[in-house]
Amino acid sequence: MCLAVPAKLIRQDGQQGIVDLHGNRLPVNTMMTPEAKPGDWILIHAGFAIERLNPEAARETFALLEEVDRTSGNSDYRPDAQQNTATPAVRGDMS
Amino acid sequence: MSSTHAFTDNLLQRLREAAAAIGQNVAFMEVCGTHTTSAFRCGLPSVLPPNVRLISGPGCPVCVTSQGDIDRLIDLGARRDVILCTYGDMLRVPGRHGNLENARVRGGRIEVVYSSMDAVKLAQKQPDREVVFAAVGFETTAPATAAAICEAQRLNIGNFSVLASHKRIIPAMRALLTDGEIPKIKGFLCPGHVSVIIGSEVYQSIVDQFGVSCVVGGFEPPQLLSALVCLIELVVNNKTALVNQYPEAVHARGNRWALTLLEKIFEPGAARWRGMGTIPDSGLILRSDYQSFDAARRFNLPEPQEREPAGCICGKVISGAALPGQCRLFGRACTPISPIGPCMVSSEGTCSAWFKYGKSNQRTIPPAHLNELLEVSS
Ligand code: SF4
Repeated sequence: MCLAVPAKLIRQDGQQGIVDLHGNRLPVNTMMTPEAKPGDWILIHAGFAIERLNPEAARETFALLEEVDRTSGNSDYRPDAQQNTATPAVRGDMS
Repeated sequence: MSSTHAFTDNLLQRLREAAAAIGQNVAFMEVCGTHTTSAFRCGLPSVLPPNVRLISGPGCPVCVTSQGDIDRLIDLGARRDVILCTYGDMLRVPGRHGNLENARVRGGRIEVVYSSMDAVKLAQKQPDREVVFAAVGFETTAPATAAAICEAQRLNIGNFSVLASHKRIIPAMRALLTDGEIPKIKGFLCPGHVSVIIGSEVYQSIVDQFGVSCVVGGFEPPQLLSALVCLIELVVNNKTALVNQYPEAVHARGNRWALTLLEKIFEPGAARWRGMGTIPDSGLILRSDYQSFDAARRFNLPEPQEREPAGCICGKVISGAALPGQCRLFGRACTPISPIGPCMVSSEGTCSAWFKYGKSNQRTIPPAHLNELLEVSS
């Protein structure tokens, strides 16, 4: 119903954060995840972080996501991938 | 073989074994448009055992928005004194007088925003224009609307309002089980990202009252498969249960910050759904303290008039009572290039998924086959 994507929080200033999403930097509002810290993986939906992902429960998922991503030829998904500071196209979809 | 493939193969094996062990037809419903498209994208329908059906439910927010609400939104977007801010999904949804793109061509100022906060910023920058945010979506999206209203109030921005038609999923699931025409289902594949907000334990009442399992699932193919395997294995073991198969994101009680925001700005109220009529408590209505942000009041908008596009059976498609191939317009008059109903416009719509992922040749399904597809033993 509502697509949210996992991204890594890399900077935070009050309720404003910057995430790394597939190598791009995106602004994100973190008012709904006040416990999130830089380095955490968070779910982004419509410009808001809606949850901090639980690294324990997510380890297997992340391994799968990274592997799926690598096999589909996009290696930027890796948390340690080279950063690309280009502004991404804004999709503006709620999905 | 990679570990992902091994993991997926193992799940597929379990899926086949569990399906064979049931020895009867079973149907489950996914109530999330993102699940619908993820399932099609990864080819899930092609690996489903023939006795297992996954039926799409009312999970696409654009599709469930009533035609009257869409017409009202487009009429507002055409006004010269308004800047209408919307998420991109709504742009091409057809209304009585064309869609929002047409309204833009006719001189309406329609802005596609990435976040509800962008609409607040625009209102701040353009104090001489009324800025209306088109607030559509389920509980995943509604907290962002609530946050925008809080921000507009904090900044004392008087030219910002929202035209809200937010929906709540649980009352819709209940309505489907109570009065829906859907085939008897054994379980729901519950929407992962709505559940991030509302939590998993709220589904327990559905499990208890209706004897239908609820499994919360993620969106990657292995997560989707895991949830489906879980649903089928519950049937094999003759159990109904609530299972959270997306624990990395979904907590039992949801996101309390988001829920607090929702609670502050909205209260549950009756809402109109396409094809499902008015369902009590299924909408989010602005609380009395925030009704000054209600665009319907501010612009004195008339009550929406419900009317479906001629020949379109989206209402039945979103409530699981019909398949897209049963619509005589599917793949002929109605395609993603020239959509007639919202289920073909939205990237999450069932008709769009059917068309995109290889079912466009099934323009009309012979009634006998359709019954076989939809009929399941109880
Ligand atoms: S195929 Fe088009 S007209 Fe038919 S139900 Fe789907 S969206 Fe409506």
